[in-house]
Amino acid sequence: MTILTIMGQGMAVLLFAYVAGMLYYGLYRNITARFQKRIGPPVLQTFYDSMKLLFKDEATAFGWMFYLGPVIMATGSVLTLLLLPFLRVWHEGSLSVYGDLFVILYLMVMGPLGNALAVGVSGNPFGVMGVTRGLTRLMGLELPFYIAVIGVMSVAQSSDIWHIIAWQQIHGINMIHYPLLFIAALFSFVGFMGSSPFDVVAAPQEVYSGPRSEFSGKFLGLLMSQNAIFGFAKLLLMVDLFWGGADSIVELILKTFTLFLVTIVIGVVYGRFKVHQAVDFLVKFPTLLGVVGLLLL
Amino acid sequence: MNILASLQPQLCDKFETQAFDLKRDDLAQVIVEKKIWRAVMDYLKEEAGFVTLLTITCTDWIEEERFELNYIFAHETKRCDLMLSFSIARDGESVQTLTDRWPQAEVMERDLHEMFGIVFEGHPNLASFALENWHHTPPLRREFDTLAFVNEHFEFRKGREENVDVKAEAKRLRALKKAKAQAEAEAKKEKGADDADE
Amino acid sequence: MKEGFLIEQERLEHEAAASLKSSGLINDIIRYFRKKSIFVLAYGTGCGAIEMPPTFTSRYDAERFGIRGAATPRQADVIVVSGYLSFKTLRRIIHTYEQMASPKYVIALGSCTINGGMYWDSYNTIKQLDKYIPVDMYANGCMPRPEALLEAFIALQKKIENDEEPSGWERYLENIEWYRQNQRAVLGEDIKPAYEADWYTEGR
Ligand code: SF4
Repeated sequence: MTILTIMGQGMAVLLFAYVAGMLYYGLYRNITARFQKRIGPPVLQTFYDSMKLLFKDEATAFGWMFYLGPVIMATGSVLTLLLLPFLRVWHEGSLSVYGDLFVILYLMVMGPLGNALAVGVSGNPFGVMGVTRGLTRLMGLELPFYIAVIGVMSVAQSSDIWHIIAWQQIHGINMIHYPLLFIAALFSFVGFMGSSPFDVVAAPQEVYSGPRSEFSGKFLGLLMSQNAIFGFAKLLLMVDLFWGGADSIVELILKTFTLFLVTIVIGVVYGRFKVHQAVDFLVKFPTLLGVVGLLLL
Repeated sequence: MNILASLQPQLCDKFETQAFDLKRDDLAQVIVEKKIWRAVMDYLKEEAGFVTLLTITCTDWIEEERFELNYIFAHETKRCDLMLSFSIARDGESVQTLTDRWPQAEVMERDLHEMFGIVFEGHPNLASFALENWHHTPPLRREFDTLAFVNEHFEFRKGREENVDVKAEAKRLRALKKAKAQAEAEAKKEKGADDADE
Repeated sequence: MKEGFLIEQERLEHEAAASLKSSGLINDIIRYFRKKSIFVLAYGTGCGAIEMPPTFTSRYDAERFGIRGAATPRQADVIVVSGYLSFKTLRRIIHTYEQMASPKYVIALGSCTINGGMYWDSYNTIKQLDKYIPVDMYANGCMPRPEALLEAFIALQKKIENDEEPSGWERYLENIEWYRQNQRAVLGEDIKPAYEADWYTEGR
């Protein structure tokens, strides 16, 4: 196993995640449009948007910390993706043997925090408001998710995701064994994906796209691209933790897309919560489910 | 008993009103001298129950060299409005502000100051309201010539037609349409005749 | 004779396949992306603001052409000036326009922006929008229906694809003095002396 295989594999994973994420988010907009009796944009629309933004000028300059925000965000999502098990057969020669669940959970929060610093530099009130909303929501999101993760870890007796996958290979997938934990994590997951009932952070009508409101041109494009990658990474995490990972690309696409479809449908059907409503809901219902699931282990 | 009708004798007893004009059952105008308008207004608010200030308007009587200020009030419980009017000189005379009684008068007075140039004494902020950086005559004074102002400050794109006589134009269009229809009908007829011939 | 704005519109819409400013594969691709994805900042100045929601929602669905709303001027490509502009609004429009990141375009909606429209003799509205900011496309009518607005967008897409020279923001940068002069004539002296983003583009 040389450094070259690691790098090659990493690049392949990154490319795949980018393409899949872009297509998924394009489909998201298209399917949402169909729900609203519209024709909707082409599937590649998200890709067009991000590419166009990458070739645009910026209109803002607030110093290097501001520009670092999207970069930190992109770093966080790329690292998250690379440290996650991609395919079961790619155990050898992937970066993911080095990371475990704790690192992943840390990295998932790192990006938004870095971005928060950048937004703070810009001094835009809507941006700051968006960040505040995001951090408030994060408290609600993390509680049920961490409970579910603790459950999964204690079952597999390891914090290594490979072990968790291996456990599921032997005993059957976690979703069937521990449905309560899965549902608790699913609620948080919908929130992490930033889709509808919990999309308080970047609400375009209330806080003018929140943390993004000062970013223009290339940095917005970077944010959009990393969002696609990060979205796929989150899907991958859920698939790894509860659906036992995947053996082939086709299986992976099937599993992640099913999961994505769930978030789309939930997002289409429900309107946006207010911030305190979102936190209230997450702290009550999914957390309760998670605790009950933990007790039943 | 109609409240406005019953108000008339009371008001005329107490103050020297110049006129009390009962325009409708629920609408009346009181005209007073400028020196007693605050007293009348206090009376209206405290005793007669006209507690809401709806709006302040101004009428420009340029021929008589005066502005007429109209304060319109609504009654607390009954459905009726009362208009209190008094005149000031067009130039150089100021009026006491009403913001101490009704805070909402702030915006209305600012508007009047901007549009007519009336100065309100004691108003907290007479800055510009809808117009910004306006250095010309206040635009709603009647000596302000809008058309001249527009012609002086703007130029129009070529091809614009103004003052087209709409009626004549419509007539012309109708005649055109009619002629066209007639021609068509004739053509049809001829064609029909041709068909019949064959 | 054609009316003035029609001549102008013709000039804006004419097929200029020969005047491709920059050819080459990369530029073609970039133009394609720009054409395919248009973020719109709808600035509701006049009556026209009410035609914007139907354009973007289920009935007319502008998103199928890749046209979608942007939340802030920073993210927008196109600003739609919808109707008459009072001086006070014009100042805000100029401010907003200069905050947008280039390449940026302006669509002027309604006859008020072309020649004063029904407010032609008003003391407080400007008559020709393109004296103050560069207009890339007009949609005439009082009020233009959403179909007309969509048509304007499609014509703009064509224009972006052909990359006619020079597009509005370039004209603005080149003739900034002329524009500033016109702006000063109606807004008074306290307008920013230089282009808003000058301090940013200076270094290049
Ligand atoms: S063109 Fe007509 S509809 Fe549009 S802003 Fe002017 S008056 Fe209103």
